[in-house]
Amino acid sequence: MEKHSIDVIVNGDDYTLEVPARRLLADFLRDDLGLTGTKRGCETGICGACTVSVDGKAVKSCIMLAIQARDKQVLTIEGLSDRDGKLHPLQQSFIERGGLQCGFCTPGFIMTAYVFLAQVPSPREEDIRAALTGNLCRCTGYVGIVESILAAAEKMSGS
Amino acid sequence: MTENGKTPSPSLIGASVPQVTARAKVTGAAQYVADMKMAGMLHAKILRSPYPHARIVGIDTSRARVVKGVRLVVTGEDVPERRWGVIKKDQHILARDKVRFVGQEVAAVVAIDENTAIDALELIHVEYEQLPAVFDPASALEPGAPEIHDGTGNLAWEVRIDRGDVEAGFKRAAAVYEATYDMPYQYPGYMEPMGTIAAPDGSGRLTIWAPVQSIFSARARLCDALDLSPSKIRVIQTVTGGGFGGKVTEDSNTVIAGFLALKARRPVRLINNRLEDFLSAHSSVPARVWLKMGLAKDGEILAKESSIIADNGAYTGLATSVTYVTAMRTDSMHRLQNVRTHARLAYTNKIPSGAFRGMGLQQMAFPLNSHIAMLAEMIGMDPVDVHLRNAIRTGETSVHGWHMGSVGLSECLIRARDGIGWKDKYQRRQSQGARRRGVGIGAAIHVSGNRARDDWEGASVIVRVNEDGRIVLITGESDIGQGSQTVLSQICAHELGIPIDHVTVAAPDTDSAPFSIGSISSRVTTVAGNAAIRASRLAREKLLAVVSQKLEVASADLVIEDGFIHVVGARDHGMSIADAARHHIFRSGGEGIYAHATFDAPSVVPDKNFYGNVSTAYSFAATAVEVEVDTQTGQVRIVDSLAVDDCGKALNPLAVHGQTNGATAQGIAWALYEKLEFQDGQLINGNFADYTLPTADSLPHLRSGIVESNDPNGPYGAKGASETAVAPPAGAIANAIYDAIGIRFNTLPIKPEDVLKALQNQGASGKSNA
Amino acid sequence: MRDFAFLEPTSVDDACRMLATEGDEARLYAGGTALLLAMRQRLSIPSAVVYLGNVPGLDLIEFDETRGLRIGALARHADIAAHPAIRARYPFLAKMAEQVANPQIRNMGTLGGNLCYGDPSTDPPTCLLSLNATVTLRGPDGERVLKLEDFYVDYFVTALEQAEILIQVHVPPPAPDLVGAYIRFLKTPAEHRPLLGVGVTARYDQGFCRDVSIAIGASVRIPMRARTAEKFLEGNRVTAETLAECGAIAAAEINPLSDFAGSADYRQQIAQVIVRRAAARAFGIDMD
Repeated sequence: MEKHSIDVIVNGDDYTLEVPARRLLADFLRDDLGLTGTKRGCETGICGACTVSVDGKAVKSCIMLAIQARDKQVLTIEGLSDRDGKLHPLQQSFIERGGLQCGFCTPGFIMTAYVFLAQVPSPREEDIRAALTGNLCRCTGYVGIVESILAAAEKMSGS
Repeated sequence: MTENGKTPSPSLIGASVPQVTARAKVTGAAQYVADMKMAGMLHAKILRSPYPHARIVGIDTSRARVVKGVRLVVTGEDVPERRWGVIKKDQHILARDKVRFVGQEVAAVVAIDENTAIDALELIHVEYEQLPAVFDPASALEPGAPEIHDGTGNLAWEVRIDRGDVEAGFKRAAAVYEATYDMPYQYPGYMEPMGTIAAPDGSGRLTIWAPVQSIFSARARLCDALDLSPSKIRVIQTVTGGGFGGKVTEDSNTVIAGFLALKARRPVRLINNRLEDFLSAHSSVPARVWLKMGLAKDGEILAKESSIIADNGAYTGLATSVTYVTAMRTDSMHRLQNVRTHARLAYTNKIPSGAFRGMGLQQMAFPLNSHIAMLAEMIGMDPVDVHLRNAIRTGETSVHGWHMGSVGLSECLIRARDGIGWKDKYQRRQSQGARRRGVGIGAAIHVSGNRARDDWEGASVIVRVNEDGRIVLITGESDIGQGSQTVLSQICAHELGIPIDHVTVAAPDTDSAPFSIGSISSRVTTVAGNAAIRASRLAREKLLAVVSQKLEVASADLVIEDGFIHVVGARDHGMSIADAARHHIFRSGGEGIYAHATFDAPSVVPDKNFYGNVSTAYSFAATAVEVEVDTQTGQVRIVDSLAVDDCGKALNPLAVHGQTNGATAQGIAWALYEKLEFQDGQLINGNFADYTLPTADSLPHLRSGIVESNDPNGPYGAKGASETAVAPPAGAIANAIYDAIGIRFNTLPIKPEDVLKALQNQGASGKSNA
Repeated sequence: MRDFAFLEPTSVDDACRMLATEGDEARLYAGGTALLLAMRQRLSIPSAVVYLGNVPGLDLIEFDETRGLRIGALARHADIAAHPAIRARYPFLAKMAEQVANPQIRNMGTLGGNLCYGDPSTDPPTCLLSLNATVTLRGPDGERVLKLEDFYVDYFVTALEQAEILIQVHVPPPAPDLVGAYIRFLKTPAEHRPLLGVGVTARYDQGFCRDVSIAIGASVRIPMRARTAEKFLEGNRVTAETLAECGAIAAAEINPLSDFAGSADYRQQIAQVIVRRAAARAFGIDMD
């Protein structure tokens, strides 16, 4: 099996690894780097539990090959809080506003919201709902998630 | 005996406390089973049947065995001959002789990684001889149908209940209405696919890590399937990414993983991918319900008769219990006297069905709520008034012997009605262009724990005080995402007078946790909550006794505030919990504080006629919706939804609203979006692209309200809050569509295509029934 | 997923050569959002994947009033949705791109990949068909330009020859009085794929329709133009009645798919409504 060398920066750390062509970015993050916050929930690119940011864009890491991330900057849920462990406002509001229950979809939602708020800092509820169509949650009926993102947006644009 | 004697402090009981597991979840630190690795761990994948009903003629695994990296290949010939099953023993770990549904597990490969295992699976050759199959439960019960399990006539279970005088009731009725309703499989759709890591421990024991709703049920099932005694198996619950009934005890994943680990003598990881999960999770029980009801002129329900044919699929999980709930649960919501039902559960050559949030409640709530709207119209009454006229009251005993310690049903109905703007919207047929709006309402009752045959509906909790004054709460009850760890922590912290972050709930582990039933029937808050109160108070007594002795003051004169035990009125005269805990250990004859307490619900096992007070307490919910129907495309949009839940004292409103909204979303989706589709027994939409869970933009901003009819048996008055709200939406939506366009839909999901067709028929014939 | 050789050309000609060398078992890989799904389920088992991600310039979007709009094959749906000239001059194209699949897929999936996959249950082909788009294909023997209509041959089959690559999509310059609309029809709001897509473009000349183009997709094997309906509308005055009749004519022109997502009958009825609504939206008529 031929291996391909990739250089990639994940959460600010640089890595050089050899991977087979068929290694998915999600598996690379989870199995090779041990960053298991990124989840695998389906095989059809629908559930969004595997969402990460690649060069500032939200992507689904389970329908992307690890090689495609070569020379790129990847941000996962583990990289969202700062180095001292201080939580990002989105993480804080998901905790406080019922943005999560079982937590399995949570990293994906937070990463999608993180990239979204960078583009649309003061969204309306309908903008948020449209931005979340690539992520599924079975626990919350989305109410807590939408409210968490609204609250975080307010906090972030206020500070 | 109740634990209701203490005034709740405003700080924790009734406070919207975030989940105690939340920080681990938002940082990605929470370890779900698929995130775990073990030294020497191997990976398993399953080969599944492509046929709905076939005899296995032969299996050739020789090519798979020689694939580099393959460690084990097994088939039905290798598994125990004994059959396992939660209630009926009707399945083998892997199919022997026969397969009975498309997706049934036929062979397994264990290899160094998943891809290698899949590579090898493709090389297994199975020769099948196809057999005639049957997919429709009613057809399956007819004479001459292909028999799926020998000697059963395809009847998996049956019940008849007859109380009062149904005939006399119908005779007196001013209006009688009958109709047949069809409801499909709903996939639980938890975001974490089922998975297991199983590892032999080298001394003859097997350890299982899995996201299960009940560790002891999981252990019992493994014992059953693997022919091991309970003490040979240890089950540890991993952080669980949702359950909704699908991770109760029915799935085959854990059993197969356990078997493979014993065979391979290595840790084995078996994680379903989503396609596999659709096939192997027990989805909700599809049912056809014929319902007949009679109403007096003043709205009193005089008689209810029903006939149920439910679809068990090919093997029996908990569909028997589900069908039993469908047959009777909603009856106790109203003051009924005359009820009769006949329910049959049929084997078919489809995926097995089983437990799903609501446990069969919704399969009668949809027909019932639809019926009440129709009958109300027939006698010229408002459907909400019909519900109110019949709603059971606190202190009453229902037709099935359920004693109502607290009932907030009427208040739920009134608040849902008023909140949706019923007065200005009902029967107004408001239209804008091609779009017409209507409102509808539905209601339901649920249990808080359900006493079953084994006659124990208890829970035990251990409160251990560490030498730093922090608490470890040990329980076998599973947090599956609903937040039970949070509620138990709240209770413990409240009782001990400590901050909530001083409490840690240990992961349920059959080796160390007290025996438990698990997260089923909305029982944990109510039953384990009471046990947590008792254990916490016991720990408190032990702490106070230490201080009492040290300071030579009576225990009664001591209080705990913010983790500090002191004499009433003298904040500096005392000692910290940490010091007290240390004094409890470090003394001659001392020991660590380890308080164990049990609460067994004041309920009874129903008699042989299914009569008896089965639960600690009963919860209620009413949901009102407003819909908009596009009369040119048949599309139905939920404009507004308000679910009001009577969960007794809401120990944590944030969690209660979360449960209500999540349940409502599932109920709406069952009515409009979700259905497993089969073609010749083959599931054809077993993926998230084609089986459409609700998305954020497919739901309105769901609204939820809480009614606190505090129950004398509940901890601080609390009742179950997790399931009731899943049941009302389907009826409410069907009623709202009827209100909008005058057409009644009895088949779920209500598809745009069917709505459009019915509208055209209505236009052609002027009739108003689809 | 089976393993495969991962080839990384740095020019289109390189890529063509690699495809020619590898033969039938090779697949071209752009964003990967569709192909990778099929590969993960082992529905597609290529021996080699030719990855276009390192070919420079293929993702350019250029607009010029006289030459029109050129979209490189590797342009992402999100880039199309955000492009200022597209938003200004072909707003319904931008709007369509803003609704394809879901946000993450729009950041990953490319227009070229979408068109070449040949899946009918998607939006860009139908919208571009209504805009009279052409595609530029380059192969070992050079370039050719095809009308998008001729690019689609059958269900999941395109006119791409062995070793040929779609490199650019061209949309003619917009007439000053161009109007248009695209409607992505989801059966329920929880759906992920359109049951039907309808694109309508025309010049709206003082109450009259000119140069009408009506494209229908997703419910048919390949996206198609509703020529009879176009002819009916051509030169006609825009009224609620003419648009309603246009919808009926268009619906009669299609031979719809039929499956569990929707029967042929339903798809046909919806087509009538959605063509009318798309036309009404294009011409700014307030009607359902």
